[in-house]
Amino acid sequence: MYAALARSTRLGVLKGVEEVNADHALDVEFRVVERDPEGRLDRYAPLCREILRESAARHIFGCITSASRKEVIPELERFDGVLWYPVPYEGFEASERVAYTHSCPNQHLLPLLDWALPELGARAYLVGSNYIWGWEMAQIARERIAAAGGQVLGDRYLPIGDTELDHIIDDIRALKPSFVLNSLVGDSSYAFLGRLADLKREAAFAGSLTVLSCNFSESEIKAAGGAAEGLVAAGPWFEPAGGVGGSFHEMARQSVHELASLLHGRPGTEVLPLAELLETAIRAGHTSKLDPAHLHAVQPTIIARLENGRFREIKRLPARRADPYLTDRSQTARPELRLKVVS
Amino acid sequence: MTHIRTENLGGAIAWILHRPHPSVQGLIRQLGVIGLDVREAWPELPAEAIGADFIFYDADMGHDEQFPWASGQSPMPMVALIGSEAPGRLRWAMEMGAHAQILKPMSDKGVYAALLVARANFNRAQASEALISDLQSRLSARQTIVRAVMIFVMKGKTEAEAYELLRQTAMAWRVTMEAAAERLVANHSSERGSDDDRHIDRA
Repeated sequence: MYAALARSTRLGVLKGVEEVNADHALDVEFRVVERDPEGRLDRYAPLCREILRESAARHIFGCITSASRKEVIPELERFDGVLWYPVPYEGFEASERVAYTHSCPNQHLLPLLDWALPELGARAYLVGSNYIWGWEMAQIARERIAAAGGQVLGDRYLPIGDTELDHIIDDIRALKPSFVLNSLVGDSSYAFLGRLADLKREAAFAGSLTVLSCNFSESEIKAAGGAAEGLVAAGPWFEPAGGVGGSFHEMARQSVHELASLLHGRPGTEVLPLAELLETAIRAGHTSKLDPAHLHAVQPTIIARLENGRFREIKRLPARRADPYLTDRSQTARPELRLKVVS
Repeated sequence: MTHIRTENLGGAIAWILHRPHPSVQGLIRQLGVIGLDVREAWPELPAEAIGADFIFYDADMGHDEQFPWASGQSPMPMVALIGSEAPGRLRWAMEMGAHAQILKPMSDKGVYAALLVARANFNRAQASEALISDLQSRLSARQTIVRAVMIFVMKGKTEAEAYELLRQTAMAWRVTMEAAAERLVANHSSERGSDDDRHIDRA
């Protein structure tokens, strides 16, 4: 369903573990305990519990979907575990048990829309997988687009893995949006990109329809079979040299390094609550990308277009704090206040 | 009273009325993460809390005198912090005007939901009260119109003529029919009132 993402994230974690274990400057060595829920939602909680009860492991790396993350949080609370969640998500969560090491909407979706609306036009069409990621991305996009005076022509949701796209393609053909925000995950997304690539070849579009995504990465280019060409993505990191891991792989790898550097020189601290571990390390002079207030990473925003199979940077914003509940929105979304100051 | 225009909670002020206790830390942390400005008070809310956007109050040890407003009259959404689910405590929490609740021990869960639910319930209650008072005043205006019409009927007009006369009077005075009716009824009863006074004087 979304195996490419899971695979690149897993490989990122294993790569990080390999690097940490090979680094003799660190007094930390990781042993890996693995469980595979096979993307089946009801398997996450029992397997998380199994890891925490039957092994000494306290730090779990994984979960791709928000639905699966929400499944494991009660287990983390009950059995004192920490989840390192290295993929983009929709925000509106700040569990004391989770390190959110990728990015949330003020770091991906909002900067992407702020670039797209003046650049591509204000008529948007929203497509997403039928669960919290797809719904909340559309909701946030809707608010931002409305605040910018744009228009959402439609929004559609597909169950994860579903590739029945006729009605969506018909809609887009009829409505001719300025851009499509694609928050589909995995196979649905690749099928959708394939159909859109065909649509773009039709005379009415003349290749001009741009697809935006906050969850498409290099690891999926191959799976999309070239159909993603021209897609504009937002993320904290893109492969500089033609690699295929993408930000999921890289943030997973960096997360392992982050944990290692928090534990380094502090034996026994792997059992501490994450906030305490982080504060202990920060007091000792450690600098972390994780914000001790809400355990979300500080991240830059890079907007990049897929050209000839590689992401080319269009725009880069400096690292900014995560704002998981989007409570800073008032400062950017109320231009009328600024006008009052002028008059 | 609501300072927040959208779902935006950034900079909103929340007072927590709870004795200092480790279990409050989770709530304070989460409100801060969501972007609220958190203040604590115990055993009483200060008068400045009237300007708050949200009040979180202890349902276990709370009592009416802790609040600078009457029971159920809070000018902002209120969230009850419930430990004991004993019916007496729950009744007090509800009478105080809980728009939402959080169960103890408080953690990182349920805080954002409580904020949104409390505000939605508060807004709905405010809207209902405004609607009720509007309907009440319209209902009383209707009664006034009927009384004004009766005054004309007593002076020999038919009901249809009385309504027409009231309409013309309202137009002449450039006011609504309700306002005209109110004035006519007031004049009429003051005339009668002074008549009565005279009667009394004579007696």
